[in-house]
Amino acid sequence: MTRLIPMGVGAEQPAVAEEFQQVLQGDLELSGLFDLVDPASFLGDADKLGLRRTEIDFSQWRMLGTETLIKGGYSVSTGKLTIELRLFDVITQRLLTGRRYVGKLADVRKIAHTFADQILKSLTGDEGPFSTKIAYISKRTGRKELYLMDVDGHQPIRMTDHRSIVLNPDFSPTRKELIFTSYNKENPDLYRKEIYTGRESRLSLKQGLNIGGRYSPDGREIALTLSKDKNSEIYLIGTDGTIHRRLTNHYSIDVDPTWSPRGDKIAFVSDRRGNPNIFIVDIRTLEVSRLTFDGKYNATPAWSPKGDRIAYSRMDNGVFNIFTIREDGSDERQLTFGKGSKEHPRWSPDGRFLIYSSDLNGGEKSIWIMRTDGTGAKRISARGGNDSHPAWSGRW
Amino acid sequence: MLKSTITRLVVMLFVLTLLASGCAKKPVAEEPVISGQTAVEVQQQQPAGVVEQQVTDTAPAYDAAAVARAAELAASKGLNRIHFDFDQYVLTAAAKSILVSNAGLLRAAPVVKILIEGHCDERGSDEYNLALGDKRALATKNYLVSLGVAAERMNIISYGEEMPIDTARTKEAWAKNRRANFKVKR
Repeated sequence: MTRLIPMGVGAEQPAVAEEFQQVLQGDLELSGLFDLVDPASFLGDADKLGLRRTEIDFSQWRMLGTETLIKGGYSVSTGKLTIELRLFDVITQRLLTGRRYVGKLADVRKIAHTFADQILKSLTGDEGPFSTKIAYISKRTGRKELYLMDVDGHQPIRMTDHRSIVLNPDFSPTRKELIFTSYNKENPDLYRKEIYTGRESRLSLKQGLNIGGRYSPDGREIALTLSKDKNSEIYLIGTDGTIHRRLTNHYSIDVDPTWSPRGDKIAFVSDRRGNPNIFIVDIRTLEVSRLTFDGKYNATPAWSPKGDRIAYSRMDNGVFNIFTIREDGSDERQLTFGKGSKEHPRWSPDGRFLIYSSDLNGGEKSIWIMRTDGTGAKRISARGGNDSHPAWSGRW
Repeated sequence: MLKSTITRLVVMLFVLTLLASGCAKKPVAEEPVISGQTAVEVQQQQPAGVVEQQVTDTAPAYDAAAVARAAELAASKGLNRIHFDFDQYVLTAAAKSILVSNAGLLRAAPVVKILIEGHCDERGSDEYNLALGDKRALATKNYLVSLGVAAERMNIISYGEEMPIDTARTKEAWAKNRRANFKVKR
């Protein structure tokens, strides 16, 4: 991966190249697919603008043992930023993908994330998730409010000013919209918020709990927990708030619904057999089967977008760690270990990563990201916020 | 007979003392008159005082509003919180005895409406704890109903683990945080 080189007209802006480099490098390292070559060992070709296949001295790059090469140039004129990027296969000397992005100077990070997504797509067939968004709850103002940030934790924006308690957001899969629970009107009601207009309304305001709302994969229904029946039960409601269906009917606690990507099943937490465990209910037959058997406290399930695994957190000796398991209950794997509670795992839209909250830093929670095999764990939200309840958007 | 002589004696003594005092302060001519007047004033004041006493004594004047206010005050100050065991919403014996006393205060103040808040300690997942707090508040309400407090007077809300009273990570702090609180709503 070479440094961006100034091209064409306009002033040189080394800061642009620097920031672009940092963002793209961060994304590629996080993916775990790359072993980046130290720029100190680069030979002459790295300093040449030549972006065309025929202008590149591939033999130099082969000598360094590289398999793929990223080259690019930028220009800035009257506040307009143009970045042109190429990804080459060094062995076959082929162009894998080439892009030109035109935007404002402030769009550097966005362009870098978008190109990182393209790189993963051209190398693996699956687009990366780096240009998507993460919603989360932060106590930065002293109260729990809803925030939005980039996948690398940059550009956090506060979305609510309820000054009460805001909890547990989820993205609509089809619109730029979030749902969450808030105590704004002295009851834990479910709210909907349009991200760009800021428009907000109460979607479900039944007496008692209206919590843990999760959009169905087609965006037409929302699964949530209501306690209007004097006990917490999982319901399906429409996007207008009307009740469509009651999915559970048991005197025990039933919370934390998560949809299978096909939209035919919902995993949830119940203590119907004693301790909190994960169960799966078939939406058509309402048949309930038990998913987790080990451990004394299993909660916060999240079904992967590919459908192959369900992530959840298990409490042992007062500490939560993150596990994944197949839908049939086989192949349970522990992804995190050690001190500090890791909770609320959520998958990236491509299923490559998990985000979660961790209180590793002595009580205060932060949002962390890791690969789905548990490697590459990294804190992404800034310290001092007591950040929790992350949710990952779909394609942005 | 004997009684009347005693009174007469007393009267005579009284007159004598008056005279004696009059004699002592002879240089001022009007003095006796003045002392006589003060004596009259004393006589008038005394019955007035008795009358006052009688009012307070014979008027237990049943002021319903004041009694209700007192009961409301007692209820708003005297409703004690109760605590729960880990991951439990079943009322302990200690919790029940506190609720018996709370129910007494609530029955005495029938206009008082209350909000019962269910809370949990920080261990456990947020959503599960919201449901658990709901069950704690409901168990509390149901027990008060069984003790004769009208259900319509009580609303419940769960805050799960969102509002700890002690943020320390100790057994003592967790025990304090697993609770049902009462808020008077009027």
